[in-house]
Amino acid sequence: MSAFPSLAFSSMLLPAMPASTVSPPSFVQTLLPAAILAVTAMLLMLTEAFSVSKSRSYQAILAAGASAVAGFLAFQNTQLPAGFILNDRGVADGFSSWITLIACLAAGMSSLLALGFFRQRNAERGEFYALLLFAAAGMSLLAVSNELITLFVNLELMSVATYALAAFWRRGNRSVESAFKYFILGAFASAILIYGVALLYGATGTTQLNLLHTALPNALKTTPWLSWPGLILVLTGLSFKIAAVPLHMWTPDVYEGAPTPVTALMGAGIKAAAFVALVRVVLHVGDSSAVLLHILSFLAAITMVVGNLMAIAQRNVKRMLAYSSIAHAGYILIGVAALFTTSHWGNDVGVLSVTKVATPTIETLRPAALQGILFYLLSYAITVVGAFGVLAAIEKREDDGAADAWDLNRLSGLATRRPGWALAMALFMFSMGGIPSTIGFLGKLYLFKVGISAGLIGLSVLGVLASAAGMYYYLRVIVYMYMKPSPETEIGLRHWSTEFVLAVSAVAVILLGLLPGPLLDWLSQAALFIPN
Amino acid sequence: MSVEIILFFVFSVCTLAGASLVIFAKSPLTSAMSLVATFFFLAGIYVLLFAHAIAALQIMVYAGAVMVLFLLVIMLLPLKDAPPPLRLSPARWIGALSSATVLSILIYASLQWHNSLETNTTGQNALMYFGNLEDIGISIYTQWLFPFEALSLLLLAAILGAVVIAKKRI
Repeated sequence: MSAFPSLAFSSMLLPAMPASTVSPPSFVQTLLPAAILAVTAMLLMLTEAFSVSKSRSYQAILAAGASAVAGFLAFQNTQLPAGFILNDRGVADGFSSWITLIACLAAGMSSLLALGFFRQRNAERGEFYALLLFAAAGMSLLAVSNELITLFVNLELMSVATYALAAFWRRGNRSVESAFKYFILGAFASAILIYGVALLYGATGTTQLNLLHTALPNALKTTPWLSWPGLILVLTGLSFKIAAVPLHMWTPDVYEGAPTPVTALMGAGIKAAAFVALVRVVLHVGDSSAVLLHILSFLAAITMVVGNLMAIAQRNVKRMLAYSSIAHAGYILIGVAALFTTSHWGNDVGVLSVTKVATPTIETLRPAALQGILFYLLSYAITVVGAFGVLAAIEKREDDGAADAWDLNRLSGLATRRPGWALAMALFMFSMGGIPSTIGFLGKLYLFKVGISAGLIGLSVLGVLASAAGMYYYLRVIVYMYMKPSPETEIGLRHWSTEFVLAVSAVAVILLGLLPGPLLDWLSQAALFIPN
Repeated sequence: MSVEIILFFVFSVCTLAGASLVIFAKSPLTSAMSLVATFFFLAGIYVLLFAHAIAALQIMVYAGAVMVLFLLVIMLLPLKDAPPPLRLSPARWIGALSSATVLSILIYASLQWHNSLETNTTGQNALMYFGNLEDIGISIYTQWLFPFEALSLLLLAAILGAVVIAKKRI
């Protein structure tokens, strides 16, 4: 039984595919979105070298168009049967296709945001969009990876491109510091990850995730001194990438210092791709020991609490959204922890205790949890792109990364000066806070529902309480926009591409919040590869 | 004691000495040259592990090309005479403590590993063909094609990123 309600009119966009004629996925089909992104990136590099045209706006449009095409192909792939590709180095399933779709969405939206942003600052370059598409290709390939070395290489492809994007627009110490911090800490996390992979290989003799799944339980018994450090190091490296507390320190500085369109990409795309890496790894190693469930639920708890508490103190809206992205990672971690409760009933650890609930088995719980995670990632991606889009729009050209560029005061009276932006921002804040009739509410609803049916009742209650506390700082933004007098200072200029992104995200937030049926149907039809 | 064991001890002691010198040397130039030495002795250990191709690549790429880059960067750095003295802040203590923990886990692991090594003698013949260029080439272009091609994208993105960052100001 699916965890989601379904509506009848949903599958009209999809190719009809009766179950009897399905064939295993071909690698061409699976990798086509990533290939389109990568080839367009190379094309953009060439335009920078050979183009004689003065105007460079077509580069952003090209990047957005390639993302849209790749996203559409990924969407069609979501309904293909699951299976291994490329000598088992890759896995093609609904999960990887949906993450590819989210990556394309994030890349397309951020390149449109960047179009207005960099045009007004006279800093349009083809390299920027090329790096953006390389990052998106990395995310898409990461979602396909089924082997730890492949996963590492694709994670690096995504990260290296993003380090350069963070350093693209260097104004003042803040942005230089941000890019440098991101690079050093990111490289450190990657080193920890690959170190853990080496130890796991030493313990089990494989880096293949599906083989690790069978080999690890035995290895944990015979060579615990090797497999445990390996496992912990791999989880540490991945926790850094999803910005889980206590490895979250880089997030506010990096989010604040990076150019705002890049921050939008980080919030929407990088987060989703990092989560797919984490989910793929823990899906295969998580059954081997109950300790991992405890680690994950503990991480979820402190990430939610710390992220929300730290966000309350922020007056800088960009930093506030960075801390809120940490909190959202915490909510998603509930879904990740929920993947394993059926294997470890009755292991009590205080507030995080797992209560045996009658209904779910591993066959129903895991798809529900994966769909919940996917829905949440998608809803968060749509919302966060819009929220950072508003911040990019109000940013003035002269700000040059000044410290008060994103202070709450800048949003004062936005409702009278730019009613459309204010309305969109209010919707995004409602969605992030989880007010009903927005997509963010449904994301939280399904995730907490999965958490409760998985028996993580304490954790889900904590999640609800934490998101209630989070309402304070989301609503504060709305108070400033609608109830404070507007200062005389100038505000960012309009640009059609920014307004387009805001409009699309705002409509998606409300439309998918009111009519989630088709989306849920597509999600529940996606064939998910789940090791048993 | 066979020749391999003696060579292994020579190489490993020299590698460790070189690596320590990289960290503790006062002059960056000494550090860089010790790194060259470390790479060379590490290549010796690779040879003992039948990884001939990796050993050759190690010398050509790391001891050769990468080190030239290192020296060039050091040449460009404005070097001060005395580095700032090392202060022990709480963060440093935590760092030292966690490094010590990891090191002790690894030492324990390798000791345990050593004890269990006696029973594991399979794959001696496979090792003979393990490290040659043909074998590496075949496995890279068949089983490992996906990560290998992804690596080429990664290098391209890294070059592009380096070019973007090297630009003075956009």
